Amino acid sequence: MSRLQKIPVVEEKKGNPLARVFDDLVRFCRSRSLFILHYCTGCGAIELPPAMTSRFDMERLGIQPMVSPRQADILLITGYVSIKTLKRVILTYEQMGSPKYVVGICSCTVNGGMYWQSYATAKKLDEYMPVDLYIAGCMPRPEAVISGLQKLMDRINSGEADSWQDYYRNYDYYLGNQQKLFGEDWQTPTDIITEAKHYELMGEGTLGQHTRLLEQHQKPLEALEMRLGHNIKEPVE
Amino acid sequence: MRPENYEAQRQPPSNEYELNFGPNHPGIEGNYALKVKLHGDIVLEAKADGGYLHRGFEKLMEQRLWIQNIALVPRICVPDPSPMELCYSMAVEELCGLKVPQRAQWLRVMQLELSRIAAHLFTFGGHAATTGMYSTMYWGVADRDLLLDLFEEFTGGRVYSIYNIPGGVRRELPEGFLQRLTETLDYIESRLPDYDNLFFKNQVFVKRAKGTGVMSREQALEWGVTGPNLRATGLAFDVRRDDPYLVYDQLAFDIPVEESGDAWARTLVRRQELMESIRILRQVVEILPDIHGPIRAPIPNPLAWNVPAGETYTRVESSKGELCYYVVSNGGPKPYRVHVRGPSSMHAVQVLEKMSVGSRIEDIAQTMFSLDACPPEVDR
Repeated sequence: MSRLQKIPVVEEKKGNPLARVFDDLVRFCRSRSLFILHYCTGCGAIELPPAMTSRFDMERLGIQPMVSPRQADILLITGYVSIKTLKRVILTYEQMGSPKYVVGICSCTVNGGMYWQSYATAKKLDEYMPVDLYIAGCMPRPEAVISGLQKLMDRINSGEADSWQDYYRNYDYYLGNQQKLFGEDWQTPTDIITEAKHYELMGEGTLGQHTRLLEQHQKPLEALEMRLGHNIKEPVE
Repeated sequence: MRPENYEAQRQPPSNEYELNFGPNHPGIEGNYALKVKLHGDIVLEAKADGGYLHRGFEKLMEQRLWIQNIALVPRICVPDPSPMELCYSMAVEELCGLKVPQRAQWLRVMQLELSRIAAHLFTFGGHAATTGMYSTMYWGVADRDLLLDLFEEFTGGRVYSIYNIPGGVRRELPEGFLQRLTETLDYIESRLPDYDNLFFKNQVFVKRAKGTGVMSREQALEWGVTGPNLRATGLAFDVRRDDPYLVYDQLAFDIPVEESGDAWARTLVRRQELMESIRILRQVVEILPDIHGPIRAPIPNPLAWNVPAGETYTRVESSKGELCYYVVSNGGPKPYRVHVRGPSSMHAVQVLEKMSVGSRIEDIAQTMFSLDACPPEVDR
């Protein structure tokens, strides 16, 4: 993680003490109600039903599966990501609301795992999006998944899990790797740079040569015409 | 959610619309997608969109040693990995002319049937969840875990056991294992009436599954359907009986058959297969202590193993259907060509596409689960 920009640590004693207590409370509550977006990208997904259901029961920790990315807190990458999947994973990640956390399960997300020489998979997940936690193993047992998520809870509680800020601060680096894989004209519907300005997370690495390409290849969106009228045909049986 | 063409496209006005069903969708099994064209909620056209799980297995296997591939093959089908390693091992044995000891063959049968029960329990859970009955899913997954514990005990791995190698199996059974196996089988058998009341006789399931995803026997044969899906159309074909491998010809078991060919029939066939697998396992428990001898035929140094040139085609009955391997060797240390004929690539692509037409959008997931399609095996 040496390439990442050092984030200045805010002095603990400054500011309103009441606000500090409030922040702690918010972090505590956040870490106790986590919704995971369970996107089955690979074989590790098979160990998640046991981890969620009666035997190991993740729900006792306040962790539940969630079906839509807008409402989810954790993006669980379960196993190898093929290049076709990686596009969807990046889109899903950008759609999630901040703060968001990424957990890479299985060895394949760390370094390619079994498929290190495959032509179809992306090898290292943290080149394309910031990862908070890896759970290694092929595949990790449900106990390992739960203990990993407990560690994530602790890190959220103490405020260390802030990789989502890193995506805004170093957007150029991640976008560059994505462009290397998907081509120069790679675009996503989400406007990360505006979001970074909104969150006041513009860093030195937010803008760069790759984000300039983004503007170059941008196509203007046309407004959709919606018409309801008599000229709509009934489908032919 | 399609990055290539997310910008608006002008279309002539109509009542039809297209929807991307998956890959990140609660109703879809695994990482798989369908593009469906709808009028209201009736499907007019469906197009399978796979490739999300493509890892290039057949190319990877050409780049690894014969023995290394054993670790690779179970990854092709995640819910039911045991037939994968067995079928590959059988192909290599046939090329080398290796004779597998009797005890190893019985141990392999035991592993296969355990894996079949585990896969079926998982499918029931998934199928019930698509009809809104989550309790069955919780039960099915929890009971499957008991079988995974047995797997862990005698093979060392929970999901990917990698128990077979060409020539036999890796290790001997632990002490008292057969006793624990019997206890688990008793428990699962005692649970089946509860499953019947909760799921198989439940009117929510029966009314939704009857008449959903119907295919006739002729259609099934034409589309290349195998396994429980074919048996649900009334044709009693099972590789275990009609082209016996291992010691299946010495075992007594029936081939359950249903006539109607819809989602309900397919699920009932699996429900009865569960009983047959338990029956087979009970016979194995009875016979296995009397069979002594080695569990592995001697093989040459596996790191410098040149398999004789030739080609072979082996097939086994997995829980999803007929699974075949076509292996070609040119006498070198690595396979020249390996082709996997998985059952799901037929079920999830051509059959699902045709069956979805005319059904409602909420029944697509149910049809897919009733076909027991396994997306990693489709894409490989």
